[in-house]
Amino acid sequence: MISDRQFIRAPRAFGWIDLAVAGLLAALIYALVTVVHEWGGPLRQVPEIHLEARYLPLYTLLSLSRGVIAYGVSFLFTMIYGYAMARVVGAERVMLPVLDILQSIPVLGFLPGFVLGLVYLFPHHNVGLEIASVLMIFTGQVWNMTFSFYSSLKSVPPDLVAVARLARMSWWERFFRLDLSFAATGLLWNSMMSMAGGWFFLMVSEAFVLGEHDFRLPGLGSYMSLAIERGDGRAQLLGVLAMLGMIVFVDQVVWRPLVAWSHKFTDEESTKASGSWFWERIRRSRLLRTGTWLWESCRRRSKPAPVAPVIRGEGSGFSAAPARTWTKRLAGGAIGVGVLFGAVKYVQLLTTLGGSEWLHLLGSTAATFLRVVIAVVLASLWTIPVGVLIGRHPRWARVLQPVIQMAASFPAPMIFPVVVGAMLVFGTGLGVSSVVLLLLGTQWYILFNVIAGSSAIPRELWEVSRLARFSWRHRWQQLILPAIFPSLLTGWITAMGGAWNASIVAEYMKYHGQTLMTTGLGAAISQATERGDFHLLGAAVGIMAVTVVGFNRLVWRPLSHQAQTRFTLET
Amino acid sequence: MATPLLEIRHVFQSFPGAAGGSVEILHDINLDIREHEVVAILGPSGCGKSTLLRAIIGLEPPASGQILYRGQVQVGLNPSTALVFQNFALFPWLTVQQNVAVGLSHLSLAAVEREQRVRQVIDAVGLAGSEEAYPKELSGGMKQRVGLARALAVQPEILCMDEPFSALDVLTSETLRNEVIDLYTSKTTPVNTILMVTHSISEGVFMATRLVVMGAHPGAIRAVFDNPLPYPRDEHHPEFLALIQKLHALITQAVFPAEPAPAIAAGAAGLPIRAIPGASLSSTIGLLEMLEDDGHLELFELTRRAHVELSQLLLVVKAAEMLDWVTTPGGLVELAAAGRQFLAADIKTRKQLLNATLRGLFVFDLVVQALKQSANNEVDEAVVLDQLARALPHEQPPRILRTVVAWARYAELFKYSSIRRVFHGLRQPTATP
Repeated sequence: MISDRQFIRAPRAFGWIDLAVAGLLAALIYALVTVVHEWGGPLRQVPEIHLEARYLPLYTLLSLSRGVIAYGVSFLFTMIYGYAMARVVGAERVMLPVLDILQSIPVLGFLPGFVLGLVYLFPHHNVGLEIASVLMIFTGQVWNMTFSFYSSLKSVPPDLVAVARLARMSWWERFFRLDLSFAATGLLWNSMMSMAGGWFFLMVSEAFVLGEHDFRLPGLGSYMSLAIERGDGRAQLLGVLAMLGMIVFVDQVVWRPLVAWSHKFTDEESTKASGSWFWERIRRSRLLRTGTWLWESCRRRSKPAPVAPVIRGEGSGFSAAPARTWTKRLAGGAIGVGVLFGAVKYVQLLTTLGGSEWLHLLGSTAATFLRVVIAVVLASLWTIPVGVLIGRHPRWARVLQPVIQMAASFPAPMIFPVVVGAMLVFGTGLGVSSVVLLLLGTQWYILFNVIAGSSAIPRELWEVSRLARFSWRHRWQQLILPAIFPSLLTGWITAMGGAWNASIVAEYMKYHGQTLMTTGLGAAISQATERGDFHLLGAAVGIMAVTVVGFNRLVWRPLSHQAQTRFTLET
Repeated sequence: MATPLLEIRHVFQSFPGAAGGSVEILHDINLDIREHEVVAILGPSGCGKSTLLRAIIGLEPPASGQILYRGQVQVGLNPSTALVFQNFALFPWLTVQQNVAVGLSHLSLAAVEREQRVRQVIDAVGLAGSEEAYPKELSGGMKQRVGLARALAVQPEILCMDEPFSALDVLTSETLRNEVIDLYTSKTTPVNTILMVTHSISEGVFMATRLVVMGAHPGAIRAVFDNPLPYPRDEHHPEFLALIQKLHALITQAVFPAEPAPAIAAGAAGLPIRAIPGASLSSTIGLLEMLEDDGHLELFELTRRAHVELSQLLLVVKAAEMLDWVTTPGGLVELAAAGRQFLAADIKTRKQLLNATLRGLFVFDLVVQALKQSANNEVDEAVVLDQLARALPHEQPPRILRTVVAWARYAELFKYSSIRRVFHGLRQPTATP
């Protein structure tokens, strides 16, 4: 859901790679949808979810463990995919667009395939459902981590690579001591964002209706869905508190210490040591020292047997392997045929939809598009002035940054019902209030980036604008907006991607025993999932992915190019 | 005579260029490096001296040619070498001690010996006490000491250094130069030959027993020069100064040959096809100001007065010569009539004078002609780059383009938009001079 600024390169004409990408997209969605047909899962017993407060700690723990396992999977995926993308010759040209597509497919698009497939594989256990749930959280976490790792690998300083070569580091040594260490800081910040992104769809990941089947797993997400469905205000409040507690806990005990620790991977002396009480404790503890000692002694023992100090031919691994080219070609060909087959099948699937259904889908897309744009505009209206103000005052920024970060990590769908309830009192329908919901979910990204952009404006430039007696308007036009433009753009891209995704839960919800919905692509996806109408689902997911990728290519990419060439502050 | 330590035989190197072709970086390099030598490779930036060093170490194998180590053809990294980098290349996440030990991880040493070696080199370069520090806590000089210690830790026979002091301030580099020479002369380390790359003549003369002078486009050896002065050397000793002056003359001769340069093919407009040096106009005008009183100065004297390196000064002098502002008879820089006229003129007239002069230079004429032929008075940057690449295969078109843009802007010859990456013309003031 998050597209990284670095990956939007200079605009270029649509070429064969775009065609291949389109084919791949079609094939992928077809594959996701077909799995459903092949494995119409058997009926399952739905575990009962209790709304009493005493169940909540257990539920929170269950959800947290799903999030952590999903993060582990994300990390593993990132290591393998990111490494291959950056280091295997030629892989980037295919793997980068594929990643771009994958991140544009809404989480719900993966749901039916995962769930029905895995439930079919494990018909008598909840294991299948558990794995499916973890995988769905994974799809909300993984993409930006992979992008970050990839871009770090691409920017490892050549001098350090030369040192590693001169030291004849083995592949593992080079990976850990150079590549992974160099990527650590970026990976860490993206991990924090990813964890938050994974919680966004927690309610959907743990409880959903698919066709005739009602799937539920005990957890905080399903607890919240049930509370909302029943209109139990007390339970909703408790759920929100539990979620907040979990976020604060993870932030204080995991992320803050990791950030403090990661300072050693950065080149600059940090001026504002972001303190972490927990890291201070660990650092001074005997436990850590013992741990380090254990690690060191293990490492020493596992050193490979001494080899004669001969000049080893440098195995650069992938680059030169003429013997492997034909296998490569064969594999490439096989993948190509598969993609073509999938794409054709997907088009066939789409043709089963009637004209009126298409018309409805296109209308829905327009409606959601309008909501997404309005939400981003509204969010910008308040976040830009406030963000600039906060960014200008470092002390405010220091105090407010963690609070904003926390707010951004909180999964907005959990408070949607409260907002909708309030709006209903004023007689506003979901059509309008869903805009507010999108706003709630995505404004933080913009605020965050505006603060970062404005705090990076050099003090001298502020002084010049004061000495030149810039008018208020002049100052915004000449100084602030151009200076924050690159970071504002990052915020917009992230917010817009997030808004598309959030529309799925904002335009359609179970509330007080009734179903609220409005016209929109998100509603169409939710509804199709619930009804088990996979043709419609395939079409709707496809439209959303195409819209997001298309918008990135046609609007954001040229703008980013502008931002990088014109509005980058030289330091 | 014994086999040389290193024999470099007909080494060529080229890299992919901007316009799809390849740019020749090294051209037929032949050089022997013997034991107990300090060899300094001198040359202007872009002459391929770092590339040569990397080829010798084995980091970038040459496109063709051979490098022999003690008579054996060398394949892959040479285990008897170590490299000190210009920008230190330290791992920010490792402590001083760990950074120094990085080079040792592939050697099968007992832990005790490993630690002993690390301690020894840390002591030798004066880093004792900072073992636990991270690079970001150290000053530039201390960082380079870590770089040096890391190289010494592998006990190399040949210590290679790539502009090791140019990222440091004057005082710090002075100290480190002395320390390296002390390490070499005291024979406390197994280093028996130092091979260094530098762009500073005085640094070369201070440290080296032999100086290899390289020229650019393509990089080739222009002269090799022995330095018999005994260590320790005194930078203010008359002999030292005399040697520097001699070297200056030699380099000048290599750059401004006494005999006229071989005829250069003429372009379409009859102008000789040649590039322009990457010098800024302000420093070129500064050179004129410096010459105004005396009328002429020796190159050596100019470097002293301007506080710049010779390689840098040469670019400026070449630029001034190309604009007919100065002449260079035998190591002397003399202010020409056109130069004097330019100096005396006010800013508007200066622009007109320069405008007329630039029109007579190939690279500017290329853009002017292209603008004349275009229908909308605009020319895409790519077109110009492409033509430059074809006309001047040994040059770097983007660099020339930057200088062309800067000069043409001053002279109001034509305009350039960096956003749209196009040149566009403007109505010319009626040329008067």
